[in-house]
Amino acid sequence: MLEIEKVMSTGQLPKSADPTTYAMVQVDQDKCEACGNCHEVCPTGVIQAVGSDGKHQVVDPAACINCGQCLLNCPYGAIYEQVSFVDEILAKIKDPNTIVVSMPAPAVRYGLGEPFGMPPGTYVGGKMHAALRKLGFDLIWDNEFTADVTIMEEGTELINRIAKPDKKHPLPQFTSCCPGWVKFVETFYPELLPNVSTCKSPIGMLGPLAKTYGAQQTKTDPKKMYTVSIMPCIAKKFEGLRPEMNASGYRDTDATITTRELAYMIKKAGIDFVNLPEVQPDPILGESTGAATIFATSGGVMEAALRLAYEVLSGQKLTNPDIKAVRASEGIVTASVDVPKFGKVNVAVASGLDNAVKLCEEVKAGKSKHHFIEIMTCPGGCVNGGGQPLDPNIRVSDAGSPLLKTYKKRFGMC
Amino acid sequence: MSNTIKEVTRRCFLKVAGVATVMTVTGIHFVDTAKAAALDFIGKRQTSVYNADANIYAVRKSQDNPMVQKIYAKDGFLHDGPCGHKSHDLLHTHYTDRSAELKKVRAKGIKLKL
Ligand code: SF4
Ligand code: SF4
Repeated sequence: MLEIEKVMSTGQLPKSADPTTYAMVQVDQDKCEACGNCHEVCPTGVIQAVGSDGKHQVVDPAACINCGQCLLNCPYGAIYEQVSFVDEILAKIKDPNTIVVSMPAPAVRYGLGEPFGMPPGTYVGGKMHAALRKLGFDLIWDNEFTADVTIMEEGTELINRIAKPDKKHPLPQFTSCCPGWVKFVETFYPELLPNVSTCKSPIGMLGPLAKTYGAQQTKTDPKKMYTVSIMPCIAKKFEGLRPEMNASGYRDTDATITTRELAYMIKKAGIDFVNLPEVQPDPILGESTGAATIFATSGGVMEAALRLAYEVLSGQKLTNPDIKAVRASEGIVTASVDVPKFGKVNVAVASGLDNAVKLCEEVKAGKSKHHFIEIMTCPGGCVNGGGQPLDPNIRVSDAGSPLLKTYKKRFGMC
Repeated sequence: MSNTIKEVTRRCFLKVAGVATVMTVTGIHFVDTAKAAALDFIGKRQTSVYNADANIYAVRKSQDNPMVQKIYAKDGFLHDGPCGHKSHDLLHTHYTDRSAELKKVRAKGIKLKL
């Protein structure tokens, strides 16, 4: 086992592993203290006590959506990752015949500074690009570019559904960027699959664009390209392994790592991250906008989509792009946006699947008035994803943890 | 249009603090103390995201991204536009009904939250 930013990992994915029968996280029985915190935060409850000592296990991978919320909230560091591509990526970087492509998600740049001692949330987009270059990535492309493309595709799909709703493409339309949510709906609400946008997630779009358009523009042989998805998320490891994701004629996403794993690679390479000068991503598939970066938080996809829908439906320019009514940090947020020449667009935003369930039940009962619903698995959105650096307040073993005293007292550890 | 993000974060913090009080009765309040702290931490990341949108990114709408405009242009790679033929092939997908797997989990006697 390898320790990566305080999270243990068993490393390489067994080549024969079928991702649907493989849980991305598991509990170390030696470290589990049976506190049940993981079960509390798990959206499905599939991590549960087994046996009389109350130690927990992910009891069946089929009901685990790989979100990693259990791992983030375990006070004892007992939950480890079972899949890591770090070693494979390091080998590909060394191989002169491989063109290694970086594809970092929006939320990565709001967490990556923390392992280097920067305050929580510090924006490190430019430093992140510089670090990727220093690590030896050949093409610094950015998943924020395809967040913008996602808005174009998903916004257009929504407008089409409003114009001509049919059984195969009914309203409301659900977002499809969150792989935890997608696996959840496939497993628990298959009857709602027609409501889910047919758009791939931004990373699902960048892989095939890199190996077609990107390869063409940079005169690179797509066969030699190795695409690395860098995510705040563990469920993205499952998404990258989905067998259908080969639209380019190759594997669209060759490897997926988390923000923590990128921080680990940067530290291991001895790069002085804090003092790196800011660097721009490479052209073609690198440029992005504010609408793309807000995908990192709950409500962001909705706000970005409304910035498009408003202009398309009304034919007017949206002078102030801030649509604060849909910015959500908890619970369910609903809003009705007045669009000139069109009328009201009704939207809902939810993060945390207990909230999503309420909206799903409403849609199932035919009672939903919404046109568009954004769902993110992780409370608060991807900034709080299972692959992000840990909150120093949660681990009891962390020096300075305000919880340490409480735990010590409770378990008589003094 | 509603509150500033700062206020939203504060509100969410208060609500969770409320939950924590209820939890005290059942004796697992220390767990929820952790959650309240976590939300404050997440609030900082969220605030930073909206700050970057407003102050760091020069372009703020996807449709105004010059490279997006280039890819969808008449002579562009996705020249038939969003949701066009090529988009359909490369950028859209289908989903799998996995409920049979769930049935098997339940048949084993495993109880879930739903
Ligand atoms: S990864 Fe998510 S779904 Fe799986 S056990 Fe952990 S919290 Fe539950
Ligand atoms: S909310 Fe974001 S980080 Fe969490 S499972 Fe979904 S995509 Fe991953």
